[in-house]
Amino acid sequence: MPRFGMVIDTRKCVGCMDCVVACQTENDVPNGYCRDWITTEVRGDYPTLALEIRSERCNHCDNPPCVSCCPTGASHVEEFGKTVQVTKEKCIGCKACIASCPYGARYVHPKGYIDKCTFCDHRTREGLDPACVSVCPTHCMHFGDLDDPKSKVSELLRTEKYHTIMPEAGTKPRVFYLI
Amino acid sequence: MDRSAYARRDSPWFWLLVAAGALLTLVGLLAAHAMEVEGHVITGMNNQIVWGLPHVFAIFLIVAASGVLNVASIGSVFGQAAYKPWAPLSGLLCLALLLGGLLVLLLDLGRPERLVVAATHYNFTSVFAWNVLLYSGMFALVAGYLWTLLERRWQPYAGALGLAAFVWRLVLTTGTGSIFAFLVARSAYGTALLAPLFIVLSLSWGLAVFLLAQAALDAWNHRPLPPDLCRRLRRLLGLFLAGGLLLTAVQHLTSAYFARQLALERFLLQDGGPYPLLFWLGYVALGGLLPLLLLFHPRAGGPRALLAAALLTLAGAFAWLYAFIIGGQAWPLDIFPGYAVRSSFADGAIATYTPRLPELLLGLGGLGAAFLVTLVGVRVLPFLPPAEPAPTTPAAVTAAAK
Repeated sequence: MPRFGMVIDTRKCVGCMDCVVACQTENDVPNGYCRDWITTEVRGDYPTLALEIRSERCNHCDNPPCVSCCPTGASHVEEFGKTVQVTKEKCIGCKACIASCPYGARYVHPKGYIDKCTFCDHRTREGLDPACVSVCPTHCMHFGDLDDPKSKVSELLRTEKYHTIMPEAGTKPRVFYLI
Repeated sequence: MDRSAYARRDSPWFWLLVAAGALLTLVGLLAAHAMEVEGHVITGMNNQIVWGLPHVFAIFLIVAASGVLNVASIGSVFGQAAYKPWAPLSGLLCLALLLGGLLVLLLDLGRPERLVVAATHYNFTSVFAWNVLLYSGMFALVAGYLWTLLERRWQPYAGALGLAAFVWRLVLTTGTGSIFAFLVARSAYGTALLAPLFIVLSLSWGLAVFLLAQAALDAWNHRPLPPDLCRRLRRLLGLFLAGGLLLTAVQHLTSAYFARQLALERFLLQDGGPYPLLFWLGYVALGGLLPLLLLFHPRAGGPRALLAAALLTLAGAFAWLYAFIIGGQAWPLDIFPGYAVRSSFADGAIATYTPRLPELLLGLGGLGAAFLVTLVGVRVLPFLPPAEPAPTTPAAVTAAAK
């Protein structure tokens, strides 16, 4: 079984939010909510400033605190792709996973269950990329099997400099940012 | 049949109080219905502050439920016979508060109709699932314990069940504190001190609830606490209050010792708007130091001072919980230290929270349910101490409390 991950080149991301719109359209995300979003970070003082634009979402961590805290097992690691998914029918809406997620990647759907990025599970099972990856105009987003040394994501992580969000949380996130 | 251990049936206040409790519970249920139909969007809760005012009420009720069993535990576990007549009332209050707290928690769920899922699917790595077991276990143990207290044939088992309930309530409060302590994503909570802190706070909050409930029932049913017991409970409340203040101070000092936590501590204790105000004025001054003064000042002793101290303890409890639960979530996650963050998802921003009416009503509904259960309980079953040990005059109580 693959172990999916995402690599995002922050040097190419222009913050156009096409990924956000594509996700909302593809997954019927209700108005006012989002499964992915754009973050702009500035560091330093003028004139030595650094800017990073990132497309963020659920990190589908290898060690997901949202899964270990879910009282009913609704949040779980899916066998296919080792992605973190929520079974709507088992979710009681206790919000424990939202409080546990260091990345703020989850929200309460108006219907009461917890929703988040699925890495477009319905598309990846068909061999397609997630909607956000497929629409990115600068091709800064890459998706694939991290366990496959021949995949594009593995190649990028071997050859490029990257970081992840809050690695000190010990969650082992699987969305990587090239810097 | 000796009816002295029942609440008096001829009191004109009884039905009025039952109606008030039922109305409060009904209003809470209607508020929960509104939140269910309209969604959480009608509450002040958001993606960062996911636990709001209802959780302040719920955690208070659950933690106090554990502590209110003090009187029964002292009687059964530590063999202090003077407390034993009040053990059934202590147990009843525990069940009532637990019920009220769980009602609020349940009705605040995004999908409360799926409670059966929580009861049939357990993820044993989840501290929330542990607490589901701890709460149900507490119900069963305290109900069994009450049975042994009220049914003569089962009284030989009262000691064993009392001990089990005592241990269980310590574990339960540890579990409630651990809900917060295990949250990797909220830097305000990540400390093992929360478990003992919750235990100590539960002891003071529960004892305060017991003293107020006993005083109300005394006014209604003329069953005053003996002066000696008053004096002991006064000292105990003071001890628990001081313990809570000490552990809270240690918690904040430990956190502030870590340089990366300084900004958070400054937010919680100095710059955070309502949260420092609630902490210092609500919890430390009004809910901690003033009750201590009322309990131990040579000129302030007496039953009224004891009740005032209990009331202030409860006010301090709500102030502390609000500052702890809401303030702790309001502080943003420091995803990349040193970066100025701007995003379409409110990263890096201090979250704002304004409680809305349905949340307040749901919380009050939990209090109403606990009140109603207690009221009906003392009416239909002999939870009150029999008339014989009620020994004293108001003057004697005053003298003893001093």
